[in-house]
Amino acid sequence: MKKTLLLLLTLLSALGMAYAQQREISGKVTSSDDGSALPGVSVVVKGSTTGTSTDAEGNFSLRVPDETAVLVISYLGYVSQEVPVANRTSFNIPLSPDNQQLQEVVVTALGIERSERSLGYSTQQVTGENLTFTKEQNVLGSLAGKVAGVQVSGSSGASMGGTQKIQIRGVNSVTGGGQPLVVIDGTPISNANFAGRNGPDYGNLAQDINPEDIESVNVLKGPTASALYGIRGQYGVIMITTKKGSKGPKKVTVQLNSAFSVERVGNLMPMQNVYGGGGSQTWRTLANGEKYVDGTDESWGPKMDGTPVRHMHSFYPQDPMYGQLEPFVAHPDNIKDFFETGFNINNGVSVSGGNENTTFRLSYNNTYIEGVEPNTWLKRNNLGLSASLALSEKWNVSTNINYATNEAQRPAQGYYEGSRNFTQWFQRNLDMNRLKNYKYPDGTFYHWNINRPNAAGVITNYEPIDWNNPYFEAYENLNNDSRDRFFGDVGLSYQVLPELKLSGFVRSDIYVQNIEHREAAGGRFDDAYSVGKYQNKEMNYEFLAQYTKDWNDFSFNVNLGANLFDRDYTYLSQATVGGLTSPGFYNIEGSRERPTVSNYILRKQLQSVYGMATIGYKDTYFIDVSLRRDHSSTLPDPYYYPSVSGSFVFSELLNWKPLSFGKLRASYAKAGNDVAVYATSLNYEVGGLYGATNTSYVPDVLNNPNIEPSFATSYELGVDLKFFNGRLGADFTYYQQRNENDVIELNVSGASGYNSSFINAGLIVNRGIELALTGTPLQTERFSWDVALNLARNRGTVKELYPGLESRLIESNTYSGVSVYLYSNVGQPFGTMVGQAYQRDEATGKILLGANNLPLYTTATHNFGSVLPDATGGFQNTFRFGQFDLSAMIDYQFGGQFFSWSRMLAVKAGLAEETAALNDNGKNVRDPLSEGGGVKINGIYGPGTPLAGQEFNGYVDARAYYRTTLGTRVYEEWLYDASYIRLREVRLGYTLGKAQLGKLPVERIGIAFITRNPAMLWQKAPDGLNPAELATGASSFSWLETGALNTVRSYGVNLNITF
Amino acid sequence: MKKLYILLLACLALASCEFDDDINVNPNKPSEASGGQLLANAMLSLPGLSSSPQGEFMAQYLSETQFPGGSLYPEGATSFYGLYTGPLMNLEEVINAEDLDGSEGPIQNQKAVAKILKAYYFWNITDRWGDVPYTEALKGEANFTPVYDTQESIYNNLFALLKEADAQIVAGDISRDYDIVYAGDMGKWKRLGNTIRLLMALRLSKVNPTKGQDEFNQALAAGIMASNNDNLVFKHLELEVNENYWYSQVGRQQRLWWALSETLVNTMKPTEDPRLPVFADPNEEGEYVGLPFGKLEGGVPGDYAMLGEDIWRQDAPVYLVTYAQALFAKAEAAKLGWIAGGDAEAKTNYEEAIRQSIQQWTGSTAGVADFLAKPEVAYDPARGLEQIATQRYLHLFMHGYEAWAEWRRTGYPSNLIMPGGKAIPLRLMYPANEAANNTQNYRNALQSLGGTDGLYSKVWWDKD
Repeated sequence: MKKTLLLLLTLLSALGMAYAQQREISGKVTSSDDGSALPGVSVVVKGSTTGTSTDAEGNFSLRVPDETAVLVISYLGYVSQEVPVANRTSFNIPLSPDNQQLQEVVVTALGIERSERSLGYSTQQVTGENLTFTKEQNVLGSLAGKVAGVQVSGSSGASMGGTQKIQIRGVNSVTGGGQPLVVIDGTPISNANFAGRNGPDYGNLAQDINPEDIESVNVLKGPTASALYGIRGQYGVIMITTKKGSKGPKKVTVQLNSAFSVERVGNLMPMQNVYGGGGSQTWRTLANGEKYVDGTDESWGPKMDGTPVRHMHSFYPQDPMYGQLEPFVAHPDNIKDFFETGFNINNGVSVSGGNENTTFRLSYNNTYIEGVEPNTWLKRNNLGLSASLALSEKWNVSTNINYATNEAQRPAQGYYEGSRNFTQWFQRNLDMNRLKNYKYPDGTFYHWNINRPNAAGVITNYEPIDWNNPYFEAYENLNNDSRDRFFGDVGLSYQVLPELKLSGFVRSDIYVQNIEHREAAGGRFDDAYSVGKYQNKEMNYEFLAQYTKDWNDFSFNVNLGANLFDRDYTYLSQATVGGLTSPGFYNIEGSRERPTVSNYILRKQLQSVYGMATIGYKDTYFIDVSLRRDHSSTLPDPYYYPSVSGSFVFSELLNWKPLSFGKLRASYAKAGNDVAVYATSLNYEVGGLYGATNTSYVPDVLNNPNIEPSFATSYELGVDLKFFNGRLGADFTYYQQRNENDVIELNVSGASGYNSSFINAGLIVNRGIELALTGTPLQTERFSWDVALNLARNRGTVKELYPGLESRLIESNTYSGVSVYLYSNVGQPFGTMVGQAYQRDEATGKILLGANNLPLYTTATHNFGSVLPDATGGFQNTFRFGQFDLSAMIDYQFGGQFFSWSRMLAVKAGLAEETAALNDNGKNVRDPLSEGGGVKINGIYGPGTPLAGQEFNGYVDARAYYRTTLGTRVYEEWLYDASYIRLREVRLGYTLGKAQLGKLPVERIGIAFITRNPAMLWQKAPDGLNPAELATGASSFSWLETGALNTVRSYGVNLNITF
Repeated sequence: MKKLYILLLACLALASCEFDDDINVNPNKPSEASGGQLLANAMLSLPGLSSSPQGEFMAQYLSETQFPGGSLYPEGATSFYGLYTGPLMNLEEVINAEDLDGSEGPIQNQKAVAKILKAYYFWNITDRWGDVPYTEALKGEANFTPVYDTQESIYNNLFALLKEADAQIVAGDISRDYDIVYAGDMGKWKRLGNTIRLLMALRLSKVNPTKGQDEFNQALAAGIMASNNDNLVFKHLELEVNENYWYSQVGRQQRLWWALSETLVNTMKPTEDPRLPVFADPNEEGEYVGLPFGKLEGGVPGDYAMLGEDIWRQDAPVYLVTYAQALFAKAEAAKLGWIAGGDAEAKTNYEEAIRQSIQQWTGSTAGVADFLAKPEVAYDPARGLEQIATQRYLHLFMHGYEAWAEWRRTGYPSNLIMPGGKAIPLRLMYPANEAANNTQNYRNALQSLGGTDGLYSKVWWDKD
C-alpha cells in the first residue's frame, strides 16, 4: 500500500516537472463584494495544466508560457473570470459572487445536477464533513437527526457495525416494508441485511461505503424526487456523492486521517442485590446439612447475607474450591464486570488531484475495532478510486471503483443468545471473575446453570440446562462473518453539440458474504457447525441523453434514458446435524448425520426507459414533467410512472432586501413497486425426511399469479426561504402520500390450508410536515455559531386492507405461549400493538383481581395503539472560535412505544430492582405477607370471584405477582414510551492552518476530541433500555426489544493532516 | 404539457425487449409432488397429536418440577393452524388430485389413506376446540374465511368420510417407501379407519347414544383392529430429525421438568402396575413418588418419579390409536348395552384390553394375571364403567389429549386435581389471530360459546 502510494506520488511530480515555465506573473484575488482577500482560488493557464491557487492573503504567483496566455480564475460561489495575460506581470482580480451558484447545485435522480431553484420538490443535503465529524462509520447511522423526515433507528455499538435503518416520511406500506434505495455516484447498491432478530447483528450493507469518501448526501424524500428510479425508488433515495479530485492547476492533496476511540458500556439495567439464585427463599441442603446454591436461572432464592454455602463450582471435583463452603453474597457489578473496554482505530489516507483534463482521487481506510463484549472484533478495509479523463473536447471517460473487505467476530443478540441472559435469566450472586475461568485444565467447562446435585452432593450430569457460562459463549461458540464488496461504475460521455450530451454507464455492485457459527462441545447443545455463502451481483447498464438549451427567457432541459438492471443472487448454506464426529473439527464433513444443505438461486431483471423535461422561464418559473416505464421480470406487464412538479422563485419578483431567496414548490408523482421474484408461480416444498423417505408438502404461503405492482401517489407543497444573505434559512414541506394496492402477504385463516397469500390490497395514507431551519445567529471574524434544526411529524393511517379484513398481522413475538402482535388496523395509524393487558373495572379503571388477589388479564386482544413516533428530528450546533470548533448533535424522537422482553424477564426472574424493593411498610416485598411483606396492590375483585365487585387493598406475594402473573402474562407492564432526546455526537476540534505551520510542508492539521453516544439526555423508558437502539436486521421497524446488546459510549481523538 | 407527454411516450415505446422465458420460474422449489410424498409428509405430523406438555397437563399425567406454568391452566389461545396448513392440506391435495401415480399403489387406496388420516386429524381438532371450520376449510384462495361448523356436523361428516374410505379400498398395497406407519399394508389402514370410527362413536355415549350405538356397530362390522400389530404407532428413529419430542426436551436440553403426577403414581403403585417402571424412573431413593399436580413451587427432580427414559428415549414410539383402546371401547359398549353380552362381554374385553396394554407398554404379558387379580383391578360389574375408564386412562398414558377427552366424556378418573382452585379446562381456546383473519366467522363461533372464548365451555358431546 505504502509503496504504491510513493510510486504514484513520484510519477505525479515527474509529470509536473515536464512542463517548462517561462514567465513569472503574480497577483491578488479579492471579493468584489467587500474587497476581502479570497484564499484558495484556482488560477490556471487556459488550455494547459499550469496553475496554482491563492494563499491565505489571496496572493498568487505563476509562470506562464507567453503573453498570449489567458488566466482562468475560478472559485466556488463566484463567477469565473478569464483574464488575458498580455504583457502585464501583476494582477488585481476582483471576483463577483455568483448568486445563482449560491442557490446550490443539487444532485437529483440519476445523478443529474440541477440548480436548487428549479426543483419543485423537497430534497435535503448533508455535507460529508457533517457526517463524519465524530467518525461514525455507518453512513446511514450518521444521517440521524440531520434530515427532516428521515428517521434513523440504530442498534448498539457492541455489534460493531450493526443495523441502522432508515424510514423516510413514515411507513408507506401496509406491510411495513419500504427501505429507501441507496445510490452512490449514480450506482444503486444493496443495503441488504443478513441479521435476524436473534444472533449476531451483521448490520446493513451500505456500511461498506467509506464515510471519508463522502462529499455529500442528498435525501430524495418523496416519490417525486425518485420517480426517475421507478420501482426501486418508491420509498425514497439516499443519494451519495463521493469526493473527487478537482480539475484545474496540477495539484496533489494528500490527507491523513486517524482516530482512536475507547468504548465503554453504559446504561446498565438497575438490578436488585438482596436475593440470590434459586426459586425459593428456603435453602436447599445436602444430606450432610450443607446449604447449596441452586443451579436454576432465576434470583428468587435466599437472601445474599453471607451464609456459607456450596456454590455451583464447589460441585466440580476439578475445582480448587471443590467441596468448600463460601459466603453467599451479592456481586452488584457482575454484569458490568463482563464487559471490557473496547477500542476503535481508524486510519485513512487520500490522495487527490487533477489537471485540466483529468481528475483523480484515491483513498484507503482501515478500521479495527475490539468490542466491549469479550473476544469480539471487526476489521475493515476500504479502497476507493475515482477518476475522470477528458479524451478530447467531446469525449470524457470516468470511473468510480470501491472495494471493501470486512471481517468480524461478533456477539449475539436476542433471547437465548450469547450473554443476553444477564438481564433475562441470571443469578445476582454469580461472580463474573469466577465465571471467567470457564475452562478447567482437564479441558472440561465450568457452568453455573446445571441440574441440582443429589443429596450426597454429587452431580451426575454437568451439561448446562438453559445457559452456558457466558465466557464459554464468548470464547468457544464463535460467530464469524466476512464480506468482500466491490461497487462502482465506468462511464463514457460524448458532447454531440454544446446543448446535447450522450452518456453511457456500466454500474456494478458485487458482494460475497460469508457467515459461520461454531457451537462447541461441552455446552448445552451438541457441537455443531454451520456455514453460508451468499453472493450477489447487481449490474446496471445505463444510457442517458441530456439536452439543454436557453432560448430568450426560456430554458429547456430534456433527459431521455434507458436502464437495464440485472441481479443474480445465490446462496449455499449448510449445517451439521446430530453433532460433530470429531470435536473441534468444524467442517460440514464432520456432521454425524446427514447435514442440512440449502441452495438458492435468484435472477431478476428490470428494463426501464424514462424521460424528463424541465422548462424554465426567466429563471423564476419552472415546470418539470417525467415519465418512466418499468418492466420487471417478476411481473407479466410493464407499468408507467409519471410525475409533474413546478417551482416559482417569488423572491425574484418581490425584491424585498431581507429575503435573499424565496421559492414556492409543488409536485405530484406516482411511483410503484414490483413483487418478489417467483411470487407469481405455484410450487411445492421439500419436506422433512423420515429415514430415507423423502416427503413434500403444500406450501403454507399461497402465491398469486395475478399480482400487480403497488402504486404510491404523492402530493407535496413547500416553501424554501433564505433571509439576510443566507444567515437564516427555512424549508417547510407539507406532503401527502397515498400508497395503494400494496403487494401484501395477507395472513389468512390457517383453516383455509394456507397461512398467507399474496394479494394486491390496501391503502395507507401518510400526511406530514417537515421543517428544516438553519441559522447563523452569530458571525464575526473570529467567532461563529451555526444552528440546524430538523423537525418532522408524520401521521399515517391505514385506510383500507383487503375487503372484509379489518386488521393484518405484521409481526408477532411469542414467549411462553403468550404473544404480542403488531397489526395494521383499518382506520388506525400504522403499527398497532396488541397483547395481554390488565382486566379493568369499567367504571373506575381499576385493575380487576382474581380470588387469589392477583391481577386478572385479558387475552392477547388488547389494543395498545401505534408503535410509531409522533415526531422525530435533530438539533445541531456548531461553534467556531478562532481555530477552535465545537459541534454537538442531538437527535430526538417523541412518541412511539416498544415492548421490552429484557425488562419483562428481568422482573420475572427476580433480577430487577423492584422485585426486591421495600414496600410502604418498610419491609422487603419478598418478606412473608404475615410479616408485612408483599407487593402492595389495589384493585377490584373480578366477576365470578366470591367477593366480586369489592375492592381489595393489600399485599400479595412478590413471586406470585412478578414471576407468575406480571412476567409473561401482563404485557401492558412491559410496554414503554419510546421518546428520547439523545446527545449523539460531540466534537471539540482545533485546527492549525498555514499561518501556524509556517515552513512545514503541511497545509493544515486538525485535532479533535470526539465522542459518540455520550449521553441519553432524557428518555421515558426506564434505565437499562435504549429506545434509540432497537433496530434489528429482521424487522422494518423497532417495536420489540428482545435482548438488545448493551449501549456503548465512545470517546476518542481524531487527527487530520492535509498536505 | 400534453404534447410533451406524447413526445416522451413515443420515445419510451421505442425501447422494449423480452425477458428469458424462464427468468421468473422458481428453480429452488419442486413444481410437482407425488401422492406418496404428500402422504408421508402428513404422517410426519402424527406424533404432534400426542407429544405435548399441554395434553399431559390436561390429563394430569405429568407434574412440573420447575417453572410451573402450563399445569396451572393459564387462559390462553392454542393455535390449530398448523394442523390445517400442515398435514390436512397435504391430505386434501391427495384427495382432490387428478394425477396420482399408480406406481405408488392403487389410486383409490392412496385416497382412502388420505381420508382416514384426514378424519383422524379432524377428530383430534374438534375434540380439543369444539366447533371449527370443516366444510369450507382447506379451500385455499376459494375461501380464506371458512365458516365454523358445529361439532355435531363435523362428527357426521367424519363418519361419512371414514365409511367412504372403507368402501373404496381395493386390493393392493400402497407404496411402502412412503407409508411410514404401516409400510403400505392396506388391511391395517382399513382396520385403523374403522377403529377410529368405533372410538368416535363411543364419544356420543352421552349426547346421542342412539347414533353412537349405530355407528359403533357399523364400525365393528366393517372390521376393527385385531392385535397390537394393527396399532397406529409413530416409530421415532435414532436421528435428530426423526427423534421423539420428549428426547429433544429431556435428553437434549436437560429439562428435568416433568415428574409423574401424584394422582397417577398413587393409582399405579398399590396395584404394582407392571407399566409403572416403564412410565417413570424412580427417585434417588429408588422409590416411585409422584409430584402433586399443579403446585406453584414445583419440586426437586431427585425427590420424585421422573418421566421414564423408556418414554423419552430418542427413538421411543408414540402410540396413537391402539388395539387396547378398541377393546376398552368394546368393554364399555357391552356395559352400555350397545353390543350384546352384558357384563360378561365387558369383563372379557376389559381384561383383554389390560393384557394388550401391558403387552404394548412392557413388551410382555408377565404380571398380567397378578395385576388382574388386584381388588382395584378385578372387574366388578357395580363399578364397571369406572374401572374401564380408569384402566383406559392408565393405558392412554402420554396420549394426554385423548385421555382428557375421555375424562370429559366419562368424568373418570374422578380424583384429578384443581390446581390453585382452577378447574380442569373443557376445551382449548381458539387461535387469537382468528379474530383478525376470520373475523365474522370467529365472532359467530364465539356466539355459540356464549359470547367469549374460554377454557370452560363444553364441547357438543360433553354432557353430564
